[in-house]
Amino acid sequence: MNDGSTQPLLTVENVSKSFGGVQALRDGSFDLKRGEVLAIVGGNGAGKSTLIKVVAGAHVPDGGRIVVKGKEVPRSEHNVSHMQDCGIEVVYQDLALVPNMSAPYNLYLGRIPRKWGIFVDERKMREKTREVLKQLNVTTVQDLSQPISSMSGGQQQSIAIGRAIAWGSDIVILDEPTAALGPNETAEVERLVEDVRDRHGTSFILISHNLDQVRRLADRILVTHHGVTSREFKRDEITSDRLVKAITLGE
Amino acid sequence: MSDVTLQQSFLTPKRVEVLRDYVPFIAIALVILLFWALSGDRFMSMRNWTFIAQQTPVLMLLAFAQLMIVTTGSIDISIGSSLAFSAFLGALGMLWLGDGGLVLGIFAGGFIGMINGTIISLLKIPSFVTTLAMLIIVRAAVIIMSDGTAIYITDSSVSGGTNISSVSAPWLLSMGKFPAIFIVAAIVAFAMWVFYEKTAFGQQLRAVGGNEKVLRLVGINVTAFKIKVFAAAGLMVGLAACVNLARAGAATPQAGLMIELDAIAAVALGGTPLTGGYGSVVKTIIGALTLTIVRNGLTIAGVPPSWSQVALGVLLIAAIAISLNRSRIDVVK
Ligand SMILES: Nc1ncnc2c1ncn2[C@@H]1O[C@H](COP(=O)(O)OP(=O)(O)OP(=O)(O)O)[C@@H](O)[C@H]1O
Ligand SMILES: [Mg+2]
Repeated sequence: MNDGSTQPLLTVENVSKSFGGVQALRDGSFDLKRGEVLAIVGGNGAGKSTLIKVVAGAHVPDGGRIVVKGKEVPRSEHNVSHMQDCGIEVVYQDLALVPNMSAPYNLYLGRIPRKWGIFVDERKMREKTREVLKQLNVTTVQDLSQPISSMSGGQQQSIAIGRAIAWGSDIVILDEPTAALGPNETAEVERLVEDVRDRHGTSFILISHNLDQVRRLADRILVTHHGVTSREFKRDEITSDRLVKAITLGE
Repeated sequence: MSDVTLQQSFLTPKRVEVLRDYVPFIAIALVILLFWALSGDRFMSMRNWTFIAQQTPVLMLLAFAQLMIVTTGSIDISIGSSLAFSAFLGALGMLWLGDGGLVLGIFAGGFIGMINGTIISLLKIPSFVTTLAMLIIVRAAVIIMSDGTAIYITDSSVSGGTNISSVSAPWLLSMGKFPAIFIVAAIVAFAMWVFYEKTAFGQQLRAVGGNEKVLRLVGINVTAFKIKVFAAAGLMVGLAACVNLARAGAATPQAGLMIELDAIAAVALGGTPLTGGYGSVVKTIIGALTLTIVRNGLTIAGVPPSWSQVALGVLLIAAIAISLNRSRIDVVK
């Protein structure tokens, strides 16, 4: 898929982050190539979400460096807007949706299209939302004006995923994207990931506790253990045994 | 038994939902009918409705200011003091600079709002505490600045005694009377409706009230936004102060005493949850109008002022209890 000679799209080196006394992330290192699906696995509290929040710009790391498309992200610009400009979008574990707002508004969160500089272009938002939902094969959402809190967990998940994919980004990070979904919706999301990757060459970082899913989708698997990205497996080296061992023991 | 089944089949959850949306309208209709029945033509006269039309605008503008802030999940209880401060500076502005100096009053309100917003979002002090402190400080500032005396607006160039500060501005006084004040109020109300319902800023007010943390996660500068919200609400308070100046014909240190409570009550009567995330301009107008009508009707019916206050309190709780959709609100603080 990629010729191997190209530089990685994203390089993360020795990134660390603590919250007060808790060292959530001690040493996060990995790289990501164009069109690749990288899975991150690890036990609860291993630091997976913290690692991707740093990459997303939501947390400024204590140390280490992040290089996107050959350019190092300076500390002063380590924020969400900059990472979005670099083409990084995230579906957070808790979805990051505003419950009292409609699906179109959530899809356009932080990017509200305007008419004459101040007015919300509601038609454009609705049309795009319909398009995105269709792409995701979500047919159960009828009323786009209702607040998103009145939708089911799975429907909310679709909006969150749709948002990350809709903006044509280079890197989409999915933090346990199918945790709240039924089997059909899960299959739909997996199909979508492969589809978007094949069509647009988008790279994915997938955090998942579902090892079958990981083996279905991932080109490489990164294991985190106690805040350290301790091991990496290629797709063909993966057996459940070795993976489980790495996750639980860090070896 | 058959009663119960009838009720159940009629009041489906869906219908209750729809009905709840209309509570402010039903409440105001009931209130009007009640006072009409009680006082007849003394209430339902052109003269009295003209009076109500003059009384409502100041409260309505203050309720608009409160609505913006409440929608984001904060509250501003300093607007009464801010009103007095703004009116005083507006009057001073006219003394110093002539008629145009009135705009100083509007900016004074915006300035206080900006200070409130800055303290709240940068120092992360809850809005209730910040604006409570501001309520006290600003009121004291007005008393100090004015030395306890008023500035009067007169309708002739004949100046009063030497000790009395007065500005001759007949145009301003006529702005405070029926047709003019009503037209001004209608224009501001329409502008507010467009602003709150149709602009990106208006939608973001609701989003901040819904989940501020999420907005930060997608890269929105919530801190700057909140300062803007308080400043915008402050400008609205400044405008209300100018209208009040026109109505009252004087800037007094006591102006707007306790009126912040009326503004909050008007917003709540308009079915807006004080927890943020939702709100309606039209219903806030209805809320302000309801409050004014109840005050007016009770006075006409001869109810003593203290009992009027009790009645208003009961009305407020009843209206909120019925109109709030509690299934939409997770936590009550
Ligand atoms: N904002 C925060 N403040 C304080 N501690 C935090 C914060 N975020 C994460 N932590 C701590 O950092 C550690 C790693 O958390 P993180 O959410 O990254 O784990 P995770 O690998 O995503 O776990 P899970 O599989 O349960 O989602 C945990 O001990 C957590 O309590
Ligand atoms: Mg996590």
